[in-house]
Amino acid sequence: MATFVDLNIMNCSDVKRLQSVIEMAAHLGYSAVAINHVAEFEKKKMEIGKPLCPADLFPSPPTVQGRRRPIKILTRLTIIASDPSHYNSLRSTSTLTRPYDIVAVYPKTEKLFHAACTSIDVDVICINVTEKSPFFFRSPPISAAIERGIFFELIYTPAIKDSTLRRYTISNALNLMQTSKGKNIIVSSGAERPLDLRGPYDVATLGLLFGLSEGPAKAALSINCRSALLHGETRKTAFGITYTMKKPLVLEDEESAEEPVTKKAKKE
Amino acid sequence: MKGRPIPSEPISHERTVLKNASEYHYLKIQLVFQHEGVKLTAAQYKSLIVSAVKELHGEVGASCPLDLLKYEEKTLSAILRIRSSGFVKLWTSLTLLGQYQNQACSVCVIQVSPFLLALAGNSRELDLD
Repeated sequence: MATFVDLNIMNCSDVKRLQSVIEMAAHLGYSAVAINHVAEFEKKKMEIGKPLCPADLFPSPPTVQGRRRPIKILTRLTIIASDPSHYNSLRSTSTLTRPYDIVAVYPKTEKLFHAACTSIDVDVICINVTEKSPFFFRSPPISAAIERGIFFELIYTPAIKDSTLRRYTISNALNLMQTSKGKNIIVSSGAERPLDLRGPYDVATLGLLFGLSEGPAKAALSINCRSALLHGETRKTAFGITYTMKKPLVLEDEESAEEPVTKKAKKE
Repeated sequence: MKGRPIPSEPISHERTVLKNASEYHYLKIQLVFQHEGVKLTAAQYKSLIVSAVKELHGEVGASCPLDLLKYEEKTLSAILRIRSSGFVKLWTSLTLLGQYQNQACSVCVIQVSPFLLALAGNSRELDLD
């Protein structure tokens, strides 16, 4: 069975609160969480530089419920795009996005949505759930995105907070399901507080409300998230080639220090 | 073979296959508040759940017969019984329950099963060691 992953935990400056959210996620049974760093270009405040280091956050991460293993903490970057120029940092200076495990975009217009689906190199496209969608989800960009292995993300926390947002969430989700037919969907929390999080089985049932059937609803939390992570990994290194570097412990009395560190190229 | 008891009635075998035999589904839930020390009676607890269903699914959803079988006031945990047809409606509205009297809360669904006996042990926190 694929493990449950929550790909969107809002990063906030309050470290205590972030820790309690992650502890809650581990308690509910998520095996991995991604901390979301949002880059808003309108405010001219770009902090793509350095993601939060998981090792700083927890000296020893909390154990996941039901599987005695520490929770995995990943980093994710979300770029809110309202103008085509905002994609430039994804195109040219891709070194900026390299430290992040996942890169997501939040397109505000149909043109940008089309570009994100067809040409921009991202892993996840966020779907707006807090207002009525300003454009229709047409079939060509969505089928192109499914072909490229890009995932669409729905967030459920706004639906918990407010009944109006709940209506928008459900209607936008149903619109998306009509064209995507339940393929390549990720459901994640977007939680800022520990009580915003829900258990993975609860969220899978919530998927039924969004128009997914039972199998895809569970895949939206587990298999699809794993695929998105792997997609992010190929983007980080190269397409299809992964280098792993293994540094052996160098003993003082042996003359092995002059040998280069073994590199192993592996083809997928 | 002397000591073997001889059955007085003739032995017969019957094979019965039931598909979706259970009419009801059972849920074990726990209400979690941000601040501790919230007290709820069983009637308040049930009205909270019914109002949550009504908010998401309307009158039709709330009309589904729902029973509070067991309620523990100390831990705010309960066992609910609902018709299988209204099961998904109940579960989704419990998931989307966010506040009670302007206090942030969340419902933690611990277990669900079509059989009450299955709630005796927890399979999610199954400890094999």
